[in-house]
Amino acid sequence: MKTKKKTRFPLPELYIILLLLLFYLPILVVVVFSFNDSKLFQWSGFTFSWYEKLMRNQTIWQSFATSLQLALLSCGASAVLGALGAVGMAGRQFKTKGLLENVSLIPIMVPEIILGMAYLTVFTLFRIPFGMVTMVIAHTTFCVPYIFINVKARLTGLDPSIGEAALDLGASSRRMFLDITLPLILPAVASGALLAFAMSMDDVVISFFTNGPNTNTLPLQVYSMMKMGVTPEINALCTVMLGAVFLIVALSRLFRVRRKRS
Amino acid sequence: MKKQKPVLCLILAALLAVLMLAGCAINGDKDSSRPAGTGSSGSEEKVLNIFTWATYFPDDILKEFTQQTGIKIQYSNFDSNEEMLMKLQASQGGDYDIVLASDYIIEMARSQNLIAKLDSNQIPNFKNIDPSYQSKFYDPNNEYTVPYSAGVPVLIYNPDLVDFPIKGYEDLWNPKLKDSVVLMDDARNVVGLTLKTMGESLNTTDPDKLQQAKEKLLTLKPNILALDYNTSYQKIINGEASMGYMFTSQAATALLANDKLQVVYPEEGVGFGIDSCFIPAKAPHPGNAHQFLDFILDPQRSAHISEQTLYLNCNAAAAPYVEQSSLPDAVKRQVLTIPDDKLRSAEFIQDIGANSSELYQNIWTEFKQS
Amino acid sequence: MKPRAKIHDRRKSLSPAVIPMYLWTILFVAVPLFYILGMSFLKKAETWGVVMEFSLESYQGIFNPAYLKVFGQSLLIALLTTLITLLLGYPFAYFTARLPKKWRSIVLLLLIVPFWTNSLVRIYGWIILLQGNGVVNSALLGAGIIDTPLKLLYNIGSVLTGMVYALMPFMILSIYNSVEKMDWSVVEASRDLGAGKWKAFLTTTLPLTMPGIMAGCVLVFVPSVGLFFISDLLGGGKIMLLGNLIKNELLSAHNWPMGAALSIVMMAVTLLLIYLYKRVSGEKSLEGLL
Repeated sequence: MKTKKKTRFPLPELYIILLLLLFYLPILVVVVFSFNDSKLFQWSGFTFSWYEKLMRNQTIWQSFATSLQLALLSCGASAVLGALGAVGMAGRQFKTKGLLENVSLIPIMVPEIILGMAYLTVFTLFRIPFGMVTMVIAHTTFCVPYIFINVKARLTGLDPSIGEAALDLGASSRRMFLDITLPLILPAVASGALLAFAMSMDDVVISFFTNGPNTNTLPLQVYSMMKMGVTPEINALCTVMLGAVFLIVALSRLFRVRRKRS
Repeated sequence: MKKQKPVLCLILAALLAVLMLAGCAINGDKDSSRPAGTGSSGSEEKVLNIFTWATYFPDDILKEFTQQTGIKIQYSNFDSNEEMLMKLQASQGGDYDIVLASDYIIEMARSQNLIAKLDSNQIPNFKNIDPSYQSKFYDPNNEYTVPYSAGVPVLIYNPDLVDFPIKGYEDLWNPKLKDSVVLMDDARNVVGLTLKTMGESLNTTDPDKLQQAKEKLLTLKPNILALDYNTSYQKIINGEASMGYMFTSQAATALLANDKLQVVYPEEGVGFGIDSCFIPAKAPHPGNAHQFLDFILDPQRSAHISEQTLYLNCNAAAAPYVEQSSLPDAVKRQVLTIPDDKLRSAEFIQDIGANSSELYQNIWTEFKQS
Repeated sequence: MKPRAKIHDRRKSLSPAVIPMYLWTILFVAVPLFYILGMSFLKKAETWGVVMEFSLESYQGIFNPAYLKVFGQSLLIALLTTLITLLLGYPFAYFTARLPKKWRSIVLLLLIVPFWTNSLVRIYGWIILLQGNGVVNSALLGAGIIDTPLKLLYNIGSVLTGMVYALMPFMILSIYNSVEKMDWSVVEASRDLGAGKWKAFLTTTLPLTMPGIMAGCVLVFVPSVGLFFISDLLGGGKIMLLGNLIKNELLSAHNWPMGAALSIVMMAVTLLLIYLYKRVSGEKSLEGLL
């Protein structure tokens, strides 16, 4: 088998590389053009000026701060809601369980614009002022499923008797939760929260319908700027973000490798 | 379990951050939930919520205002007038302090009592405004709005790519322009220009005339490269489109990049629009808003704004400064001043009521989809 | 006996831990959706909002030929997007799952990292590539393959490119999950029994990975009818999707009941698809989709 593998044509590897290259092509173009001297799409010389402009653009940074705050708040809220929900549901069979599960997953199952429109109309009806509160509500709603699903998957992989035994022996349920359940589900909460965070940081459609005067998020700002014209500052911003993500990923990998060694 | 430690740390850090930010958010909410006072800016929280198209108020002007007054500016964007109205209705005319939008939508907002009357004593620079931009249909007594800039949608073409003379809208239908016209993505303007070629008004409400216009418009589709409200000039600059129909400021941007382009004021008559600032009925910081309006009406600052936005300036006192600006003559001559005879024949796009707007929208959907 | 009965009781009851999520789901998912369901049966007001009067006007309005065309085109684009992502994504997921473990995680990482940057900017990258004087055209002109720039933007093709690009990872990840979980001994057994490479793939691998394929299809199809910003930016305003239509009804036409009715129809189609997915894949709950 092994010798056969060595001689065969590496088609799978080539295909993977080719598709990944296609994936990175538009990103690469954005990175390259963030150093373009001209505002237009023809290459006319190398410059750092868009990065300087980006640093000085307070609207972009303000929207970035808003996005970060929104993503953290809704991630936090949804982590609590989703994790508690999954723990509470594990091993139970109350009547409305299936219904609750399915309904709570609707936000990520139906096209975003439906939820956006629903929130716009409902918040208008109840006269809830549009702003951070409405945004956090909307984002939390579509973040809960990511955490719920992850935690639920983690719990089904575990022996349900662990929790029940602890309960039967009279350990107070709070202690049980803190000592046994929480450490077990934390990784799942974290990975769900990471996904939810990414979704919240990148959401355009739902934010479009629920934002208020002081909650201009980064994606909304980018969308407006792109609609208004060529803005190499956005290219620069994307490059910075990409660099940051790669840095974090690389650091975490490095960290993991070191831990394994020690 | 050991492996999870970094994750744990991350979560702890995130939780801490959430708590801190939550604290900030609660404080922030407290501030913004303060009742909307009508008193002077002295008693107001130092915040101003601006709502308009992205980049329409230049960044350096906003920065200067913050430096001078200490008032923090929160700028939110909309992409269309309709979106603005939707948000303003949703907030019952609250939340925002300064809105900058177009004439017809201001009339709609005013008829729904979403706009506050201005206190002219707080805007001494109002006297700078050119009277020819005042007392228009949406604000006959100049009680509600401060005109910011004016625009005429014009035709612009690339003489290298168009080999026949362009006189008016009718030329858009020329088969030589196949797949090379860019129009603004706006129902009223495009259906309107079709009506103009038929000798009708931009505000026609007669269903039969609109039906005819629809049939004529549908025959334009093969020539359309793209429909684009905000960035059509890009497509002209890079040669993708050979002819476009866009606002003067966009035409000016195109001219700045390529001075061979030609601007045409259509012989059938031009449309005309004024974008004005207003203060919503329940603006949380009306004092700051007045202060800001007076600030941008300063002649030199106003000239500086129109140099960047490339729109016609409504500020008469700013005209000499615009004249001295370093903009190329082609731009000043062709788009920053409008020939008087053209201006006289200009027609506003006005609110025509819900039923007629729906007719326009249906024509538009059918046109886009065809 | 007694403790067991107690456990049994507790199993049937609602745990207090679920209550926050329960309330949240009712308040912020069920109530808003029921509200737009109700609104879709109301009459449109002259200027803004709705009149409290029962009417089927909006649902009748959907049969307006222009709207039906939007529906048709939107479904076509969604189907094509799903098909292309499946055809391109399946081999990628399959090959990746067969890589050595170390490489697998790197490929997956490389696939996910772009997710963390702004999706709009990635679409913007396509505009730079496909423009009249963009990178692709310049390359083709330079190589002497074409004489005049091709019009690559502002048509169905460019919208499809953007959709496929934006949604591909969902397809790949769901298929990857099912390929990775697959029991390879079954495939080997079928090959031992004399089935050829392709036959073994068609008779064993493909059916075994069907849940992943179905999940990927749903995950791609559902958003692709609603991503209005992709058709806005890459379609030159000429391609209308259901998402664009709903946005227009809300913003430009101020016809909220119509927007609500369109949303309800769209949601019904989506839920029907998910229901079919559950029937076919045998998944009891929806999380198989993620």
